[in-house]
Amino acid sequence: MTTRKIVVISAGLSTPSSSRQLADRLLADSANLLQERGVEVEAKVFELRDLAHDITNHLLMGFAPPKLEEVLDAVASADGLIVVTPIFTTSYAGLFKSFIDVIDPQALTDLPVLIGATGGTPRHSLAIDYAIRPLFTYLHAIPVTTGVFAATSDWGGGDGVRSLPDRIFRGATEFADLVERTDRSEMVSDPFALDRPMGHLLGGLAGE
Amino acid sequence: MQFGIFTVSDITQDPTTGRTPSEAERIQSTLTIAKHAEEVGLDVFALGEHHNPPFWSSSPTTTLAYIAGQTSTLQLSTATTLITTNDPVKLAEDYAMLQHVSGGRADLMLGRGNTGPVYPWFGKDIRQGLPIAIESYELLHRLWREDVVDWEGKFRTPLQGFTATPRPLDGVPPFVWHGSIRTPEVAEQAAFYGDGFFANHIFWPASHTQRMIALYRQRYEHHGHGTAAQAIVGLGGQVFMRKNSQDAVNEFRPYFDNAPVYGHGPSMEEFTQQTPLTVGSPQEVIDRTLGFRDYVGDYQRQLWLIDHAGLPLKTVLEQLDLLGEEVVPVLRREFAKDRPADVPDAPTHARLVQAKYGDAAPRQATPNANRGDNLTLGSPYQDGTTAPVGAASTGSAFGPAATRTAGAR
Repeated sequence: MTTRKIVVISAGLSTPSSSRQLADRLLADSANLLQERGVEVEAKVFELRDLAHDITNHLLMGFAPPKLEEVLDAVASADGLIVVTPIFTTSYAGLFKSFIDVIDPQALTDLPVLIGATGGTPRHSLAIDYAIRPLFTYLHAIPVTTGVFAATSDWGGGDGVRSLPDRIFRGATEFADLVERTDRSEMVSDPFALDRPMGHLLGGLAGE
Repeated sequence: MQFGIFTVSDITQDPTTGRTPSEAERIQSTLTIAKHAEEVGLDVFALGEHHNPPFWSSSPTTTLAYIAGQTSTLQLSTATTLITTNDPVKLAEDYAMLQHVSGGRADLMLGRGNTGPVYPWFGKDIRQGLPIAIESYELLHRLWREDVVDWEGKFRTPLQGFTATPRPLDGVPPFVWHGSIRTPEVAEQAAFYGDGFFANHIFWPASHTQRMIALYRQRYEHHGHGTAAQAIVGLGGQVFMRKNSQDAVNEFRPYFDNAPVYGHGPSMEEFTQQTPLTVGSPQEVIDRTLGFRDYVGDYQRQLWLIDHAGLPLKTVLEQLDLLGEEVVPVLRREFAKDRPADVPDAPTHARLVQAKYGDAAPRQATPNANRGDNLTLGSPYQDGTTAPVGAASTGSAFGPAATRTAGAR
């Protein structure tokens, strides 16, 4: 049986957090879909609140404290990434962006991403497409076309035509399709590996 | 093994008094620190290079030449010399000069620099930092080894028939260390030339250093300069000591908390745990430093940063006293234990001369009379190959150098 590694990042700040709740549901649907297709899922869920000081220290010092390094390594070697951030003042939470900023710029290449966001009203739902999606396309990750926005009202009746569970299922389906096909976790690059020996660096002078 | 100190030449407010030294005062203090390093029995003083305040060391060879004149055994080095924004031709000249005036006590450590605007200030593009470093060092390496160089590259105007003067002391170029925190290509560069590799080591987790040194050692062997264990490794370190460990912690904390490099970030306790920074008694520094060998192997040079973050001169001199009296003698003894006989000592001019010439007399470059073009008849030096009579009229206008193919390394 094949195994796929999924990392879930929630940037919700409160406890309990609706961002975490959405993240858990996105993961649950994705994992179910993959398991139905015979793919084992190995999931790790992280809340950025627990890493807030480490993220700041990384920004100031340039290296990750051990707990954060574990998370960054997990993200870099994942087959799929689910992210959920609250929308603050028309965009992602500052802590979420700070986390993105300490990820190695090459670490997300070709990584399928399912984006979720939470907010007070549905009027912020486009923040997924104008603010969050460009981060991942810039980093050469592959965000699936459906982003899932959960407004406060979605936890009740919400949208009567296309409900939150419908949207979660649609996003999870697109995500599971990509995660099933990737073999990314088996080919992770080592930042300390030497991929250009000296002969190449010197333009072939040394015949390497 | 060599022990010494390095400074980045920062001029920082003392957070305990609010006082900031002037450039003049800090420059004089640094000269005092360097001289005291020799007095307490340390081997090396290395100086950084910066081109913006609050740093003062824009012209390292000027400073090092003065220190050379004031000392007699101290090895003078840099931390680091910018191979990206300095002209390699001027570096070849400056450091050969420093070698001569210091009597062979000069070496240098190359780095790419960490201040973005320095690149455009010197007409370079930071995105080309690594290719510039590779090309510039290849030229620098040749200028010290070939009397007459024809060269063309991407980042500097070409050279036809150029001789870097003075020729290196005794015909032996200054030893070069390459410094990098986490660029594997720089470890490869050091290994390729059989040069030394210096891991900054401070401000970073030991795991980074371990990975970089392992790569350098492996590639050193690959390129045929010796076994991996024989590669030339230097490490940075950072210490603050008092006889009593708790006194050191209390005294250093305000400097740590406000230092430009790590202030207002992690706690001092987190930082000492995650990096080689050691704040405590001389014995703690000894134990920590001896532990470096466990993850990098037997190495050749240990430098400490002891004068930054606004520490006053008096305190820095006291740190030197502790290093010289209590720490380094023990480290010399302990590092010598179980050190395999085939692991080389740190390269010095005397050792490099011995390696090149054995018991023969080293080269003393003596120029021929200036003929205006300096090489129509072959080498501009008296011991150079003299071209047969008539060669000048049949060769190119610039003599044999112009028609020579890629130079031997």
